[in-house]
Amino acid sequence: MSSERIAFLSQMVEVLTSTVSFAERLGNMVHLLARFLKVDLALYFGLDKTKESLSLQISSQGPLPPKLRVEYQTGQGVVGAAAKTRQPQVVHRDQPGVVTDNAPLEKLQPNFNTLAAFPVADDNFLYGVLLLVNNAVRSFTPAELHSVHLTCLMLAGALRQGLVQEEAKKRIAELSVLFEVGKAISGTVELDDLLERIVSTTAKVINARGAVLQIIDNETGKTRVSSQYGLVPAAKICPPIPGAAEAAGAGAEMPFLQGQTSDAKGKVHFYLGVPLIFKGHLQGTLCVFDKIGPAGEPQPFDPENRQLMFTMAGLIVNALENALTYQQVETLAERNERMVRNLTALQEVSQAMLTTVQEERLLDIIIQGLIQPTGLGFDRVQILEVDEESQVLRGRKGATRPPDSPTLPLSEALFLPLAAEVPVSDWQIPISPGLGAMAQAVLRMRPVHHSSQQPANKGASLGSGSFEASEYYVVPLVVKDRATGIIVVDNQASGRPLEPEPLHALQMLATQAALMLENAHLYSTIEANNRELMLIRERMLESDRLAALSSLASGMAHEIRNPLVSIGGFARRIAKLVDKNSPLRGYVEVIQEEVSRLEKLLREILDFTGENLSYFGDHNLDQLIEDTLPLIQRDLEAANIKVVTDLQPVPRIHCDDRQIKQVFYNLFQNARQAMQEKGGTLTITTFTQEREDGIYAAAAVSDTGGGIPLDVLHNIFNPFFSTKDYGTGLGLSIAQRIIARHYGHIEVKNELGKGVTFIVTLPIAKYCLVKDSAQGTARASALNAPSGGRR
Amino acid sequence: MKKILVADDEMAIRLLYSEELKEEGYEVYTASNGREALDIIDTMPLDLVILDIKMPEMDGIEALRQIKEKKPNLPVLLSTAYGEYKQDFATWASDDYLVKSSDLEDLKNAVKRHLKE
Repeated sequence: MSSERIAFLSQMVEVLTSTVSFAERLGNMVHLLARFLKVDLALYFGLDKTKESLSLQISSQGPLPPKLRVEYQTGQGVVGAAAKTRQPQVVHRDQPGVVTDNAPLEKLQPNFNTLAAFPVADDNFLYGVLLLVNNAVRSFTPAELHSVHLTCLMLAGALRQGLVQEEAKKRIAELSVLFEVGKAISGTVELDDLLERIVSTTAKVINARGAVLQIIDNETGKTRVSSQYGLVPAAKICPPIPGAAEAAGAGAEMPFLQGQTSDAKGKVHFYLGVPLIFKGHLQGTLCVFDKIGPAGEPQPFDPENRQLMFTMAGLIVNALENALTYQQVETLAERNERMVRNLTALQEVSQAMLTTVQEERLLDIIIQGLIQPTGLGFDRVQILEVDEESQVLRGRKGATRPPDSPTLPLSEALFLPLAAEVPVSDWQIPISPGLGAMAQAVLRMRPVHHSSQQPANKGASLGSGSFEASEYYVVPLVVKDRATGIIVVDNQASGRPLEPEPLHALQMLATQAALMLENAHLYSTIEANNRELMLIRERMLESDRLAALSSLASGMAHEIRNPLVSIGGFARRIAKLVDKNSPLRGYVEVIQEEVSRLEKLLREILDFTGENLSYFGDHNLDQLIEDTLPLIQRDLEAANIKVVTDLQPVPRIHCDDRQIKQVFYNLFQNARQAMQEKGGTLTITTFTQEREDGIYAAAAVSDTGGGIPLDVLHNIFNPFFSTKDYGTGLGLSIAQRIIARHYGHIEVKNELGKGVTFIVTLPIAKYCLVKDSAQGTARASALNAPSGGRR
Repeated sequence: MKKILVADDEMAIRLLYSEELKEEGYEVYTASNGREALDIIDTMPLDLVILDIKMPEMDGIEALRQIKEKKPNLPVLLSTAYGEYKQDFATWASDDYLVKSSDLEDLKNAVKRHLKE
């Protein structure tokens, strides 16, 4: 072996084992061979994956121009023949067909003469063909051929090693991607988290500037959720992939979408999208944008990227499916929990409502149920009722949840008084179509959800209150196909939107609340009627009792009167006969006086028991008092009692004037007796009084006699009760009896140490003439019972 | 001397009235019920009758009716312990209605008035 050849081979081994890149190594080997053999050009053609063509990959003259493409078909020319036969081929220009067959070489070395092609192969695989080009006629010595053969074997070895390395690198890259993706998707079941991880990992693995993931709702076809990462061109976020849905169903090869698009500024963006398919259903798409090139410039995606994307898509769908299911389950569980909470609250409220028939209590319970955080949790509640007569909604009761209210168990909170009431009592909202949500709810008998776009409650008069809410919900209270009121809720204070679940619960509550309120209303009506019946019964019992008493008293009186007359009459006769100086005279006088006293008592008893109602008419209370005063004027003056009167014009009363005068006479007498010793002031005032059951004319008679001792106060209206040594004790009971007969009231206000005020109230005549003091004219007024009914 | 009949079931009243009226200078007859009173009226001429209302056998009201039938011009005074019948005394057509009292001045005045003295 020549020393040159040894040097060549040793150089070759050096190159082969050098640490430079695979492509550089091959270039160096080809260059070394060309120099050793002193050929004009050495070229390496690699066999394509299709094994149908061989393309130029390496030249002994250094790097190839980027756009140069030199290709032999298998079997074509000297290169194709070497590949096909796996035998070295040597041809000369003058041989027939050589120039035509080797036309691909025209671009590189049009003046070639001798071409020698050697297959680069190992025992079972052809990698390519080494072509030696000579411009002159050239033949190869056996030693030279052996050197070429050895070079080809070394090239094959290097190529095999390169392929294995490439394969290993690819595998490692794929595995690391799978690892990355697997790590990303197994770390969470929260959908939002997962989507974020998927897009960021995808973009990083593919080395893309941006990524978008969209999940499509299979039923509606609309995008359900989406997530994006990095820079995503606005122009085309993630185009639908043609044929993806069909491919998903048919299990055909995955379609994809790859291309480029320009944004508004004319900048080109590359994109690659793959479908996400799970169990034969299209779930969505995963897109990446702009692969980052070595210099940071956008690059198109290659088939390997595509393959990676498919691999990732396969992994992602499973995780996505899990997360979507998890999210659904979580949403359902959350909804169930809310529903259970609302239903529990409803049940608590409904049980609490059963504990009372008082309307006010019921309203408190309903409102607490609606505003408590443990209840339905609205910020504010107002309840209005329908006034059918005047067709308006009137404010009934309202409250807000105080911001710092403690969270109590609902069963306790329901029975608390309202902490922050809203003044709604003077609200008046007309009920007519087109007048806002509140009127609408009554007219349609359906809930109305008001948002700020709708008209306000026109014509509403809110008195001193106000109502500001951009969103509120109105539920009618319907009983027997009739709206009796509404419940209005809003979350204005906190600005939270009104959620569907509590509104649904509110509707259920409203149905029951309407019934309970109606019941309470009926109950109170029945109770009022019952009270009235009881009162009438009491009066009847009283009159029965008095009738019995009066018959007893009159019988007694008659029996007593005859002997009294005899005793008294004979005492007088004795007095006439007894000498003026006799001690008997005094005794007889005592008998006479005592008899007179008894006779007076008898007269009063008979007056008390006698019934006479035949003098009823419409009278002026002031006039009756003015007529009575003179009867006692002298007695009052004698006792040094000052009289003060403040008589206001009051409606006329229907009464027996003599009896009413008797009442005042008795009251004046009573006052006089109280002030007999020290004198004082008798004050008489009249006024109009509104009571639960109607309008009354009232008179107050006050004395300054020091009041009634507490231990006897309860007895003052009892017949025959007297604190005085004189008097029959009938004055006040006669007054009470007369007032009762007139369906009036007599009340006593006792101020110990000061005096007593008797207040007499008498029902006014149903339609009466009232003196209009301002105009001085009389007009007819219907001053009968005020409208006590709610509706 | 004017003749007066006092009809009352109470002996003490009869005695008191007759004593007082005798003192006034009248001739006084007494009866203890309406029946007796009518008998006396039938048998002798009288100038005035004082009738109690509540009496056994025949009460003052019935006696009054029969007296007025027989002798419409004979003055009859009702003297009674019952105060509450005052209202009806016009229908009963008595000449006066007096509530009994130990003070007999009212009675004596009424008697004088009806005897036109």
